Amino acid sequence: MNILVVLRMIPDSAGELQLAEDGRSIDREWLDFQLNDFDDHALEEAILLKEAGGAKVTAVAVGEGTNRVLQMAAARGADEVVALQAEEDAMISSREIAASIAAMARAKSADLVLCGVQSSEDVFGQLAPYVGALLDWPHVSGTNRIVANGAVLRVTQERGAGVAVTYELATPAVLGVQTASKAPRYVSGSKLREASKTPIGRAAPESSGFERSAEIITLRLPVQGGSGENLGGDAETVADRLVSILAAKGLARN
Amino acid sequence: MASTLPLWILVITALALTAWRSRRYAFALANAPAAARFDRPMLRLQGVMVAIGMHRKMLRKPLSGVLHAIIFISFFVLFTATIDAFGSRLFPGFSLAPIGGETWIAALQDIFSVLMLVGVGLALYQRYVLRPARFDGSSGSDAAIIYVLIVLIVASLLLEAAARIAGGADGSWRPVASALAGLLDRAGIPAHQGEELFYWAHVGAILAFLVYIPGSKHRHMFLAAPNIYFRSLEPRGLAPAVPEAREAPGIDSLGQFDWKQQLDLLSCTECGRCQAVCPAYAAGLPLSPKLLITDMRDALAAGPSAAPLVGGVISEETLWACTTCRACMEACPVEIEHLPKIIDMRRHLVDEGRVSPGLQEALSNLTRLGNSMGKPSKMRARWTRELGFPVKDAREEPVDVLWFVGDYASYDPRVQEITRKVAELLTAAGVDFGILFDAERNSGNDVRRAGEEGLFETLAQSNIDEIKACSFNRIMTTDPHSLNALKNDYQHFGATFEVLHYTALLAELIAAGKLDLHVADGARVTYHDPCYLGRYNGGFDAPRELIRAAGYTLHDMPRCRENSFCCGAGGGRIWQGDDGVTERPSENRIREALSLGDVAYFVVACPKDKVMYTAAIDALGVADRLKAVDIAELLVPLTSQALEIPTVETT
Ligand code: SF4
Ligand code: SF4
Repeated sequence: MNILVVLRMIPDSAGELQLAEDGRSIDREWLDFQLNDFDDHALEEAILLKEAGGAKVTAVAVGEGTNRVLQMAAARGADEVVALQAEEDAMISSREIAASIAAMARAKSADLVLCGVQSSEDVFGQLAPYVGALLDWPHVSGTNRIVANGAVLRVTQERGAGVAVTYELATPAVLGVQTASKAPRYVSGSKLREASKTPIGRAAPESSGFERSAEIITLRLPVQGGSGENLGGDAETVADRLVSILAAKGLARN
Repeated sequence: MASTLPLWILVITALALTAWRSRRYAFALANAPAAARFDRPMLRLQGVMVAIGMHRKMLRKPLSGVLHAIIFISFFVLFTATIDAFGSRLFPGFSLAPIGGETWIAALQDIFSVLMLVGVGLALYQRYVLRPARFDGSSGSDAAIIYVLIVLIVASLLLEAAARIAGGADGSWRPVASALAGLLDRAGIPAHQGEELFYWAHVGAILAFLVYIPGSKHRHMFLAAPNIYFRSLEPRGLAPAVPEAREAPGIDSLGQFDWKQQLDLLSCTECGRCQAVCPAYAAGLPLSPKLLITDMRDALAAGPSAAPLVGGVISEETLWACTTCRACMEACPVEIEHLPKIIDMRRHLVDEGRVSPGLQEALSNLTRLGNSMGKPSKMRARWTRELGFPVKDAREEPVDVLWFVGDYASYDPRVQEITRKVAELLTAAGVDFGILFDAERNSGNDVRRAGEEGLFETLAQSNIDEIKACSFNRIMTTDPHSLNALKNDYQHFGATFEVLHYTALLAELIAAGKLDLHVADGARVTYHDPCYLGRYNGGFDAPRELIRAAGYTLHDMPRCRENSFCCGAGGGRIWQGDDGVTERPSENRIREALSLGDVAYFVVACPKDKVMYTAAIDALGVADRLKAVDIAELLVPLTSQALEIPTVETT
């Protein structure tokens, strides 16, 4: 089986986000980028499938800082790693990259395309459906377990409240991974160092072929709330402070 | 003599049996990887003299130390009797008489026989009446068998001499045996048969002892001295590098340990001193440094087996419980190296990706961002914004002191305040200093000790490159962990920097009269020696000088300096959960401080400690009685407002 995994780099949410001058995007110049968490799970699921039944895993990464993440993917067991060139300093739009991913899936004779169910830049989770549609392959999103038996896949999807459904579908297919069957493994620094010699392939983007249907007109950062107050260590002081705060707000009599 | 042949047969049989019983160990040692422990023979010998000749570590526990010294000296004196017993019959004509075997040597043997019995009596009293907890888990039957054999050897020696005296020999040099001779007489034991009986009992007991030793902790009689001789002479803070000959970074079978690490296993006396000082053991975690050693020893003795070393003989929980505080190694009288073994086995776990979720998160953050908290590098120097003055960028301009700030001091909001205090103190003293801003990475000290050698190398190399590109005279660190890595571990990369802890630099500035401080009125405080400042790097005095200079009276806790008790955060523990902990080491320590009864401040000199101990004080609900303060908070320049000291009720 040939598996293609998509790895998207997204702005590190722990960083300080700042709006770009046009107010419609984030200023990406000073940001750190990190692998989209769901994509990390997709990678893990691909490696688990490889370990369970043998597969060739190709990881394709898009965004800033892909080299590091591709080396990590290689250290974890990806057989081939490719960086997909994308527009610099721009959000990774699923509409934009879907055609490139589909083209690559064909070029690599993929039987299975895995990507994270969503990313902070694609909260609708559109990548898997787009790619599925372009390839005309079946697609399931929100998976938390994938078992391969030859060309037949059993895919479990979490529906909330403990309800889970299992689909059976034939490859080729596109799956949006919510969580891998097992938490992503840790790769040691020494394995990473070894993998740093892995050659990284380059792929040029395909034109998306989609008309723009909507665009962002404004972006807003969260408003900084008032900071908390430490009420002190021992019960008595805390109680005193609480009473006086409640009284000050007219919620209790002093 | 008619007994020569039987004795030869007996001796040869015993020696053969002993060799047979030692074969596994001998084979294991012969096949073990090499270790470079043959340099500096004089220094090595000197260490043996101090350790054995003066019982330096043994005497830290006075009763044990004294009783062991008595048994030890008696053993040497009585060895003359052993030579006599075997020599005289194996080689007819041999005798010690010409050099005093029947006079002063006889007298010494007589007296030391009694002393030996006194020593064994004290040992029995200690083991069966006092029963120190450090013996928990040690083999009770092994100790008992040895006591019985020693008593047999000594008693038969005395009785043999007594029988000889009863048979008419001169007893004037043997007062004790003479007294016993009277008893034998009265008991009606015929002198000649008695002498023979006791002789054979004596040599029999000695040979039994010899045959017994290879399977007993009493191997240490032979192995303690070599084990101490071949001890590590590296700086204490230098974790052993991964040998080039090794294929993977870690170790997952006993045979991969070099011969010294294996010799360690065989030398353990089961004294439990390491267990008694271990914070992980005290916290109820499944780690006793003693059992760590003896479990591996027993596995070595049992020979190849199906159980894996890591996760089998030694469980993963055991390995992750260690704070790398080094207290066990400091306490071990035979210089056993627990930590290198733990680190090597952790290296195996990390290489296999077998890490807890907490540790995985921290290590992933460190890989990605260079700090364990998952904060962007660009926020590393954020703490400087609230200073009233700019801090130099050491990458841009030359500085006298390059300040390596460290993760906690940089990012943790609870510690940033102290970091700013240190910056203010340096400025008040006119120190020309700068920092690396977002180019600084975690020093890798605890990354390395968590077994992540590859990541440590990446972090270290990055720091070394940045530091080497700066122009400075000395490096100062806030964090003792960074101090240790920069000063010791970075030597692996050929980087030798002059590195100071901030307490050392501040003490120097005060001594030079460059820093005028408010002087308190002698209020009593206690001080916690951080493992990586004190035990690892000998930084015991500077913090104490600072406390004195600020006008406080230091009331040390019982466990201080080399014997300081770890806060529980080191070696990557801070990234792991508290599962299985019955008493947090930090709370144990706060109770110790409270028991002093008269201190208001618990003074610390490590950023992690401020966090750990404030949490511990809160958890114990004693915030009204004790406050954790960093030493930098005690030092208030005359230009600032003096510190108000809370009043303490003396209990
Ligand atoms: S280093 Fe400290 S925590 Fe680790 S085994 Fe030794 S005493 Fe225990
Ligand atoms: S390792 Fe050292 S301190 Fe611990 S029990 Fe053995 S001999 Fe004693």
